This record gives sequence, C-alpha cells and structure tokens, in this order.
Amino acid sequence: MSKKNNDNTSKSLLWKLLRKHISASQLVGFSLASLIGLTIVILAVQFHQDVKPVFDDEESFIRKDYLIVTRKVSTAKTFLGGSNEFKPQAIAEIEAQPWCRKVGKFSSNDYSLYATMSVGSMGQSMETMMFFEAIPTEFIDVTDRDWKFDPEHPEVPVIMSRDYLSLYNFGFAASQGLPQVSEGIVSSVPLLFTFRGNGRSETLKGRIVGFSNRLNTIVVPEEFMKWSNERYGSGVERDPSRLIIEVNSPGDVKMQRFLDDHGYQVAGDKLQQGKAHYFLNLVVTIVIIVGIIISLLSFFVLMLSIFLLLQKNTKKLQDLLLLGYSPAQVSKTYINMVAAINAAVLVVAVIIMLVSRASYMSMLKSLGTDGGNIIIALIVAVIIMALITAGNIIAIKRKINSLWIHSS
Amino acid sequence: MNIITLHDTLPAVFAGRQPTHSEIWQRDVTFEKGKNYLVSAESGTGKSSLCSYIYGYRNDYSGTFAFDGKDIKTLTIEQWCSVRTHHIAYLAQDMKLFPELTALENIMLKNSITHHKTVQEIVEMMRRLGIDNKLDTPVSKLSIGQQQRVAIVRTLCQPCDFIVLDEPVSHLDDVNNLIVAQMVMQEAKRQGAGIISTSVGNNVKISVDKEFKL
Repeated sequence: MSKKNNDNTSKSLLWKLLRKHISASQLVGFSLASLIGLTIVILAVQFHQDVKPVFDDEESFIRKDYLIVTRKVSTAKTFLGGSNEFKPQAIAEIEAQPWCRKVGKFSSNDYSLYATMSVGSMGQSMETMMFFEAIPTEFIDVTDRDWKFDPEHPEVPVIMSRDYLSLYNFGFAASQGLPQVSEGIVSSVPLLFTFRGNGRSETLKGRIVGFSNRLNTIVVPEEFMKWSNERYGSGVERDPSRLIIEVNSPGDVKMQRFLDDHGYQVAGDKLQQGKAHYFLNLVVTIVIIVGIIISLLSFFVLMLSIFLLLQKNTKKLQDLLLLGYSPAQVSKTYINMVAAINAAVLVVAVIIMLVSRASYMSMLKSLGTDGGNIIIALIVAVIIMALITAGNIIAIKRKINSLWIHSS
Repeated sequence: MNIITLHDTLPAVFAGRQPTHSEIWQRDVTFEKGKNYLVSAESGTGKSSLCSYIYGYRNDYSGTFAFDGKDIKTLTIEQWCSVRTHHIAYLAQDMKLFPELTALENIMLKNSITHHKTVQEIVEMMRRLGIDNKLDTPVSKLSIGQQQRVAIVRTLCQPCDFIVLDEPVSHLDDVNNLIVAQMVMQEAKRQGAGIISTSVGNNVKISVDKEFKL
C-alpha cells in the first residue's frame, strides 16, 4: 500500500472517529453569529469609506483647516447702516493670532452682472442677475488648468456651489417642466456674462470648471476680479465682508473665544459639516463596536462548542495519541473544520457586504460620489477572520496537548 | 532503543508504604532488546501502571525510567510519538479499540501511520487468529475474545524494539493463546525485539528469559 493511500486512510478514519459529537446546530449557531458580526463590522467600515468622500470632497475649496469668517448681521446694522466689512486693522489682528496661519480676503464685483444660459432643446434661455466673489488662488485646491484669466482672450472660469445646481434641478427645473441637468452637462453649456458699469456694457463667455460642496458662492479667479473691477467698477476699493483663514486646528478653544468676542461667525456650512462628520464617525464607531462584540461572542460560542466536542471525545483523542498519532495530526481534523467554517463565513460576509453596498451606492451616487475603495473593508474582514481562526487553532492545540498525560 | 532501565521506581500511590517484596518497584531493573520477560503480578500491584509509565502516558511515579540511559521524563511529545510508532509496540489491558470502527479500520488506523504491514499480511494474521470473517464488523459487535485478537494484530502492525503486552491473553482460550504466542514471538524475532508481558495468571505461552514478580 502506498504511503499516500495510507495518509488518506488515516485522514478519513480520523474524521470518521472524531466527527462524532460534532453538533451541527452549534456550528450553525456559531456560523450565523460570526457571519452577522463580521458583516456588520465590514459593512460599517465600507460605508464609512464610501461616505467619507462626500465630506472630504477632493475638489473642495476648503480643506479641514480652513475657516470662512463673516461678521454677524444684525437687524440694527441693516437699518442703521453699520458695516459688515473687515477693516484692515481687524484683519491684522486676526493675522497676529497664534492659531492663524494665513488670511485671505473675499473680494466681490463692483458692477452689475447678468448671466445667460441656454437650457433645453427649444432654445429656452435663462437670464439672471448674479455676483462673483474671488479669493486668492492659494486657498483654492482646484488644480484645473483653466483656472486663470487672460485679458487678451477674455473667458471667465467659474467654480459654482453644488447647492445652486441642486436648487435648479430639484426646484426650478422640476416646477417648470425643464430637463434636469448633470454636472457634466452644465460644465459644457455655454454661459454668457454681461457686465454693466463705468459706462460700458460688455458680454464675455464663461465656463463652469468645477463644483463645490462647501463654499456657498460663485468664485472667479482673483486676477479676473481685479481686471473686471477696474474695467467696470467705480474704482472705490472696498473692504472684504468675508475672510478665509487657514488655521492650525479648527477646534481650538482660544480661537473660538476670539471669534465669539469679536462677533465673528464661522460659515455655518463648515460647522454643520463638522457636526455631520462627527456623527457619522460616532455612528460608524458604535456600529463597528457592536459588530466586534457580536464577533467576539460568536468566537466564544465556537470555543465553547469545540471544548464540549473535545471533552466528549477525550477518551478517543487520548487513545489516538496512544496509537502514536501526534497532537498536531489529531488537532488537524478540528483545525481544518474550523478553518473551513471560518473561510465560508468570510466569503459569505464579503458577498453580503458587496450586495448591500450595491444597493446603497445608487443613493450615494446622487450625492455626487463614486464611493471609496473596498480594499480596506476586505483587509479588515481578513484580519478579523485570521485573528478568530488563530484563536481557535491555539485553543484546540492547547486542549489536545493537555490530554497527553492521563491522570491516574 | 536497546535497553529500558528502571531505577528505584515506585508508583506515587504506593509512596509511604512498607517496602514491598516486589522485584520491580524500588529495584534496579533492566529490560534488554531481544529478550523475553514476564512480569507476573497479583491484581492491584501496579502492573498496568508499569506499562503506562513505559509507554509515557502517565508520570505519577518516583525514581527513573530510562531508554538507553535517557530519562524518559525528558522526552518531547515528538520523541514520544516516535517511540509509539517505531520503538515500543503496546497492547493495553483494556485494548483501546474504537467500537464504532470495524476490525480492519481499527488496525488500519495504526498501520496507516507506521506503514508496516500490507493489507494482505493483516488479513493473513487475522485468518490465523480465526477472525478473518470479522474484518468489516464494527468492533462493538465483537466478543471480548475477538476484540483481544484484533488488538493483538494492531499491536504487531509497527516496527519496534520492544513489545509490551498487558495481559494479552486474558480472554483467550489455550489454542488462541498458543497462536498469539507464536505470532508475537515470530514478529519479535523478525525485528530482534524484546517482549515484556504481564499476567495475573493466564500467561501468554512465550518462552521467557526472565520472570519478575511484581
């Protein structure tokens, strides 16, 4: 008889012997608990990965450590004509604060401005009064190569708030029976800007080069703002009413106190964003913890099940060791079983995660994100399962080694 | 492995008792490869304990057991596995068969890790013992005497330096006793192995070089 045949014989005989007392219901219970735990953990991780881009938008104007600051608008100021602008000394004071790295001024147009946009196939067009703002390019992390202005070939690149597009799509277009448009279409639609002021009335072509989730305004390059204000404006330099500040840490208490004391407001969007992000993290963390607890419980269910099994098979296992089987050979039967179950749980959990992801991604896509990478969730799944399997293997080996010496 | 030596050994349960007249306990004893020994004993004198110490699954004793001078308490699990598959063939008094497996499966369980006999040789041994018609019968369905014969065949399915038999023929008639004795002695001779057999009265009919009273 060949050695290989003998090995197969011993394996199948071992399995025939040791599978006795294996409780199918216990193993199914473990598998389900383990599956639920693992699925919750990796789904939470994946969801976090997928939702994160909505918060840290790549194309966003403002990274985490930028704040947009305005002065509080009060009713009294509105009627009494108080100023909402930042005077040079106020800006200097902000620049002198230890938490401040850089201050950028928002400048706005000093002339009247109309935008015309053709929509629909019938040649309908939409005309609206509008405004521009500009901030120094260093505060903009859009790296579009069109983000420049050349007075020789005047064309106006614009970055627009994504909210405006939503407002058009879900408010205006829906009520007027006009087609809804995507970002891509809007970017390709020709825009015309009409400038009036200083005795001139001129029309320039414009183009939307990007959308921002965070900055609730329409931004043009600073060099264009300067050029157009000189050309159409009154020539009076105005102080900015909004500032963009690069800070060391947005959560700084001293900074918060300074802003409060001076009646400055941080743009609500940023704060809301921060809160939403905070709650997202909190919820995901809670869900992950719940998943891990379920995984741990399932781990103990399996351990208990295996210990009961080994306990019931103690005499058999000892007799096998007496025949000359090594603890490793005997353990292998159970280790293979556990590894097969855990691998199956891993595969099914990943499949459930991917299916669930497909169903929520359609929703997320409408928020303008393609989701994150699935690698991290996969790595987390493999690590968790590897840890559980390693724990199982160690416990099985220890238990079987403990059977080596019989008590008299 | 050529010699098994015992130096001043005593089962822990006997500690503190009056010195016994045993020719094994608290003596220096040597078992040599190639020789046949009979350890005769009354019940309760530690006969099965002696076997379990030599086979390494109990260590509740004082004194020293040594294989070729090496204290067996220093052996690793791997070394013990090698002892159990290549150096000492052991037949336990309670046989330690697996009742849910058939007679042949029980034997193959051992032979598949020692690769010592062919299936034909195993069947031939069973034929000599008159149980070749029980090959595929679960051991739980066999009589005690038949089980003892299956266990003896299994014991002989390995290379060895010593064959340790704990009451090998307690359930066998004289005819089968004789056949077992012949088979064991043939196998021992073929391998140059020694035989250590214990008995409480019904001795296996092997030629004995030395007898110890336990």
